[in-house]
Amino acid sequence: MKIGIPRSLYFYYYGDLWLKVFKKLNIEVKVSPKTNKEIMDLGINKSNDEMCLSLKNYIGHVCYLKDCDYILVPRIDNFKTCNQTCTNFLATYDIINNLVDNKIINYNIDLNKGEDELKGFYKIGNILKIKKKQMKKAYLESIKELKEERLISIKDNLKKLDSDKLKILIVGHPYNTYDELIGKPIIDYLNDNGIQVIYSNLFDSEEANQASRELSKDLYFKYNKENIGSIILSQDKIDGIIFISSFPCGPDSLVNELVIRKIDLPYLNIIIDDQSSDTGLITRLESFIDILEAKNGKSSISPCR
Amino acid sequence: MRKCYLGIDIGSISTKGVVIDSDNNIICKSYLYTKGDPINAVKNLIRELKKGITSDDVIKGIGTTGSARKLIGLMVGASIVKNEITAHAIGTLSFHPNVRTILEIGGQDSKIILLNDGIITDYSMNTLCAAGTGAFLSSQAKRLEVDIEEFGNMALKSKSPVKIAARCTVFAESDLIHKAGLGYAKDDIVAGLCKSIVLNYLNNVGKGKKIKPPIVFQGGVSKNKGVVKYFKEVLNEDIIVDDFGHLMGAIGIAILSKNYETDKVYNLDFNEVSFITKGEECSRCSNNCEILKIYKDNNMIDAWGSKCGRY
Repeated sequence: MKIGIPRSLYFYYYGDLWLKVFKKLNIEVKVSPKTNKEIMDLGINKSNDEMCLSLKNYIGHVCYLKDCDYILVPRIDNFKTCNQTCTNFLATYDIINNLVDNKIINYNIDLNKGEDELKGFYKIGNILKIKKKQMKKAYLESIKELKEERLISIKDNLKKLDSDKLKILIVGHPYNTYDELIGKPIIDYLNDNGIQVIYSNLFDSEEANQASRELSKDLYFKYNKENIGSIILSQDKIDGIIFISSFPCGPDSLVNELVIRKIDLPYLNIIIDDQSSDTGLITRLESFIDILEAKNGKSSISPCR
Repeated sequence: MRKCYLGIDIGSISTKGVVIDSDNNIICKSYLYTKGDPINAVKNLIRELKKGITSDDVIKGIGTTGSARKLIGLMVGASIVKNEITAHAIGTLSFHPNVRTILEIGGQDSKIILLNDGIITDYSMNTLCAAGTGAFLSSQAKRLEVDIEEFGNMALKSKSPVKIAARCTVFAESDLIHKAGLGYAKDDIVAGLCKSIVLNYLNNVGKGKKIKPPIVFQGGVSKNKGVVKYFKEVLNEDIIVDDFGHLMGAIGIAILSKNYETDKVYNLDFNEVSFITKGEECSRCSNNCEILKIYKDNNMIDAWGSKCGRY
């Protein structure tokens, strides 16, 4: 028996947890490879035109796993009131269920209705015939390990805020930021040009969530709250912000406006669709770095007369 | 001997070139249409520019900017290849040291650059779509069978420009057809289009930006007097349009090339050099990157487009 895990969307929040739990239970998993053009095209061909690029990409990853016995597709709804996910996250299970022939392992995260993560894993156990006690042990051990690992990642990320280099906070959903085709070309370009990159998802979630209230008390998207919270927590130490979104993300379009209006830092919004040329991207990144360098007096570019 | 610097700005629609001396005076300039073939456009451009320089002039630097800057930079062996935002700002600053806002509307791109004390502090560019750029204006001019050069003058004649949806090119076009069908005068429709360009620009590119004077307006669309008029009207500020505003990118990159001056002297004999590109899809992995290979006299001198860094 083999469980397919698409390396997209939820993977960037729960992938480590799933892999740890399944390993402890000796269950074979197959994770789809890093996004490549074949996977992206697979997704685009199967998607409808109104889906965001990230969801199209997810569908590509799901289709890639068609030889697996099960595919793991959770439904992440909410983390209590005012901490919603986006509608795509709600719909994914139904979309996938109607799209592929594989059996689906599904569980809900819906804290408003008391459906938490542990209950979700019991549901997985139920499908895979794993005893509750065994599942609980694997889950709790994994959670504990991950908590420590995450603390280290956050510490590393925050340490970069003291770097002498130009510092750019990358604000975006991890499934975009870390994706091989969506965010990686941007991160690579920044690294190649001597920029210290800081990631918005590697801040303490609770702290960032609270901090976001400084910008807006009405926002109810959990992931976006954490994104903009990271801006509040780091704004005194960073030189600029690059906001990566996938076309046409609804929550991001709202939050983008919010940040433009309320944050006084050099700011670049990059909206990624499935363009195959990176000329436009490089023009924007290069000129953004030029501005930051000029502002900080680190520039070789001056109007010499 | 006089030291000179060549700046080339290869845009989607037009290719611009200037030769300046070490005091930033323009020695000669040229402007022609790219016609989708940047290599030949630049060969023709350089042929024109060579007529304007004497045997006493030595080229000590070449800079390229604009969307084909990398390709042309390779062809001419440029000393600097830089994006057009930086180039435009540097060029403009050399004529207007106090400029606070640069509005630029080109063929494919439109952008706004904000400066303070001679330093770029912020900028923004149009995102995915080309609504409100020169390409939109010229396609509408064709539809109305109006010469694009006449567009501005027609707009100035109008007393009441029609309202045209400014948000999206597709809506703007259907709005325009309906208004024409209803019987509005052509002048008023043309004026409405010019105004819609301004509103679209300010809502889209200029969104959330504090536009402060002095304001300089550049790019091909700045030649359109109608658009200039509505910028003045909507912003309620004076708008500076230079005769050579379209050359600012080229001037800026020529100035920047001075920073990279070495002992090298450039010759401008590119006509004899065969310079061709071949596009192909790499099949080494499932990324199927589109690779562009560049050949100079049948030798491959560079290639790009791969995600893995192979090329």
